[in-house]
Amino acid sequence: MENVVNHSSNTKPTPSSSPSGGPKGGFFSLKNQDKLHLTAIKSLAVFVIGLLITLLILLLKQAWPAVTEFGVEFITSDWWNPVEDQFGGLSFIVGTVLTSIIAIIIAAPVSIGVALLMTEVLPERAGKTIGLFVEMIAAIPSIVFGLWGLFYLAPFVRETLTPIIKSTLGFIPFFNGPSFGIGVLTASLILAIMIIPTITSLCREVFRSVPTLQREAALGLGSTRWEMIRLAVIKPSFSGIMGGIVLGLGRALGETMAVAMVIGNQPEIPKSIFSSAATMASVIANEYAEADSDLHVSALCLVGILLFGVTLIANAIARLIVWNYNRKQQG
Amino acid sequence: MSQPIISVKDLHIWYNDFHAIKGISIDYLPNTINAIIGPSGCGKSTFVRTLNRIHEEVPGARAQGSIMYMGKNILSSEVDPVDLRRQIGMVFQKPNPFPSMSIFENTVIGLKLQGEKNKSKLMEVAETCLKKAALWDEVKDKLNKPGTSLSGGQQQRLCIARSLAVNPPVLLMDEPTSALDPIATGKIEELMTELKKEYTVIIVTHNMQQAARIADYTSFFILGELIEHGLSSDIFTNPKQKTTEDYITGRFG
Amino acid sequence: MNYYTWRKAKNYFFHSLLSISAVLVLIPLFLVVAYVVYKGISGLSLDFFFNTPKPVGEVGGGMVHAIMGTLYLVALGSLIAVPIGVVCGTFLSEFGDGKIAKSLRVAIDLLTGVPSIVIGIFAYILIVIPFKGFSALAGGIALSLIILPIVTRSTEEILKLVPQHIKEAGLALGLPRWKVTYFIVVKGNLKAILTGVILAISRAAGETAPLLFTAFGNRYVSTELLSPMASLPVQIYNYSISPFDDWQAQAWTGAFVLIFLILGINLTCRTFLNRKKILEKVTRQK
Repeated sequence: MENVVNHSSNTKPTPSSSPSGGPKGGFFSLKNQDKLHLTAIKSLAVFVIGLLITLLILLLKQAWPAVTEFGVEFITSDWWNPVEDQFGGLSFIVGTVLTSIIAIIIAAPVSIGVALLMTEVLPERAGKTIGLFVEMIAAIPSIVFGLWGLFYLAPFVRETLTPIIKSTLGFIPFFNGPSFGIGVLTASLILAIMIIPTITSLCREVFRSVPTLQREAALGLGSTRWEMIRLAVIKPSFSGIMGGIVLGLGRALGETMAVAMVIGNQPEIPKSIFSSAATMASVIANEYAEADSDLHVSALCLVGILLFGVTLIANAIARLIVWNYNRKQQG
Repeated sequence: MSQPIISVKDLHIWYNDFHAIKGISIDYLPNTINAIIGPSGCGKSTFVRTLNRIHEEVPGARAQGSIMYMGKNILSSEVDPVDLRRQIGMVFQKPNPFPSMSIFENTVIGLKLQGEKNKSKLMEVAETCLKKAALWDEVKDKLNKPGTSLSGGQQQRLCIARSLAVNPPVLLMDEPTSALDPIATGKIEELMTELKKEYTVIIVTHNMQQAARIADYTSFFILGELIEHGLSSDIFTNPKQKTTEDYITGRFG
Repeated sequence: MNYYTWRKAKNYFFHSLLSISAVLVLIPLFLVVAYVVYKGISGLSLDFFFNTPKPVGEVGGGMVHAIMGTLYLVALGSLIAVPIGVVCGTFLSEFGDGKIAKSLRVAIDLLTGVPSIVIGIFAYILIVIPFKGFSALAGGIALSLIILPIVTRSTEEILKLVPQHIKEAGLALGLPRWKVTYFIVVKGNLKAILTGVILAISRAAGETAPLLFTAFGNRYVSTELLSPMASLPVQIYNYSISPFDDWQAQAWTGAFVLIFLILGINLTCRTFLNRKKILEKVTRQK
């Protein structure tokens, strides 16, 4: 099907009769090959797009009975009772948002600190080594974190951390109450550990993109290294850091297994950081396989849609911030 | 005089709104070296890139006019650019051997991907083309080393060998020596005068001495227009146009 | 204390804060790994790797069914997702201007952001409902939905690094674009693409949430595409929330094997295929 050029050392190159010569015109002619390939590859792309749209529609269809049955009440009521087929998801929304925000409060300063340490203080090799360790955290499966959280962190929280917190912050009701180790605080701690790599790696990239010239300018003015970091590195990177934090939030919102194992799975709005609670992801993980009634499955699908929506918004915000930041960097 | 192998008539090229080439007509005779000279940004590269329709790779580029080759206008949609490029090969400004391939693979990749599977045949072609590119003696013992391990000048000769392996009657060269040192440049110039026996060469160059040394014919471009085209001996010793004279004597450019 | 000493003190203070933050990050990592090794290593035995579970109360038994199941599910998921992902990534990088490409990019971004538990619901709706039961197929599909966007994005990022003149050199040899694309551009970067693929697979291998109600689980070695299948993560989960000491011990051993497997793959990729730029691109979208 192809015209292989006739080669030998002593013959001149012989132009074929016309530039589009050679056996052609067939279905697999050179000209058609590229068209066919493009059509094929485009169909594959359309298939993937179509698959995603189909999945979203099917998910919506599955959740529809719950939407018509409960309407807005689904997100304003916290009454979740599979036995009576009554479903309100407020407690899960609160649980998800609460654990994620506490996780961010813990993880963000630490991540920024590590990123600064890696880029600004340590020599390159040491920085890279720490970077590798941070990446390793990201590689550990969430089930392993859950297992560790259940058997190690929860007892630690119950016996060591709770007394400390109660004796210092205990006058605030939210930091007081019975603690069984399993609950909001433990889940938040696990989440914090799990999102540190996400925030760290974005911050690291942002700090790296600060031109050396700015650092040298700050040092040249006689500032200490910390003052240089604050003026030349942190200040111009502010929105980039925010982007990293929101991206971490997006990860925390969707995290399932580790949280499901340590949060206690009480479909109630938590009264303190020691209470058991449940998140959108954890309730799906816990109840989906055993959901008997169609309405139960439908309600869980609706929780899934809400979860998807919340993470989508967080990711979109993160992207917007980072995109804006990049544009400012270039412009 | 023999028939021209490529005949360009009233060629216009645009990049979006920018009119890069403004109505150029030139005939190229077989087995000659043809140089295109002119100041930066005069459209030299654009012009040669259009001769095998590589210009289509730049979004927003379009060409009008006719480029006749073997009795067909290569700009017409009937002509398949893929097939055309087998007849009109190209060597680029910066040496660009494929980074993941050995010297041997680089040389024969064009043929191999056209469906030639016979190992000994490929080996034979590699040897022939590397010899034609005056590289064989330097690389024959390390054909399996990566192409990027060679020096800049060797890499460029490897790229020439790679183009020759497809056996195109016409070879376009877009400032092939601008990234090379004088010695490597000298080797490639020598090589071109050798290649002329079998191929027609159209070369864009920044270097007027180079054009004077090797080209049979020279065209002088300014701002997308052809100022003068003729025998190199005439252009460089007795230019008809005042602008050409100013340029080659170094009064501007 | 004059102002200069104050500034210096502040400098030391914040430097120590940065060091403390590093310690705070490394301690949990160390604790998790150490605890898993400590609790898990004692349960390593031939039984664990070659036996299926025994009934409650009987000592012994292993997780061979879960290990085989994970391999099966991951292989199935990769088989579906890797070719599609590589082709989609190539499409986005080489022909990424049109309307279809832009929509595909949005779709892939969207899929990347879907929480893994929702991926599980997708696979449930797509396979479990029509086939009326949990199945390995559903699990494989779920994992493929996790692998697909990662492979697509990493392939796209890698191929975008290929300079235009390399593509032009291929075209100038008179090769059709698809051959230039696959045999020169893709083939020339196969190592880097593979790195992205392996990282994606190792990520999928550790996923639990999407398998809970798709592949579900069983208690014997199975190769049936349409019946439930155990997997290491789900087995660890089921054992860890069980009240039996023996099962909990097995969960730790399972976690040890899983972590060893995944960190091993990760570190191998990072050390052996460490071409700086590539790795940055591959890991960027984490």
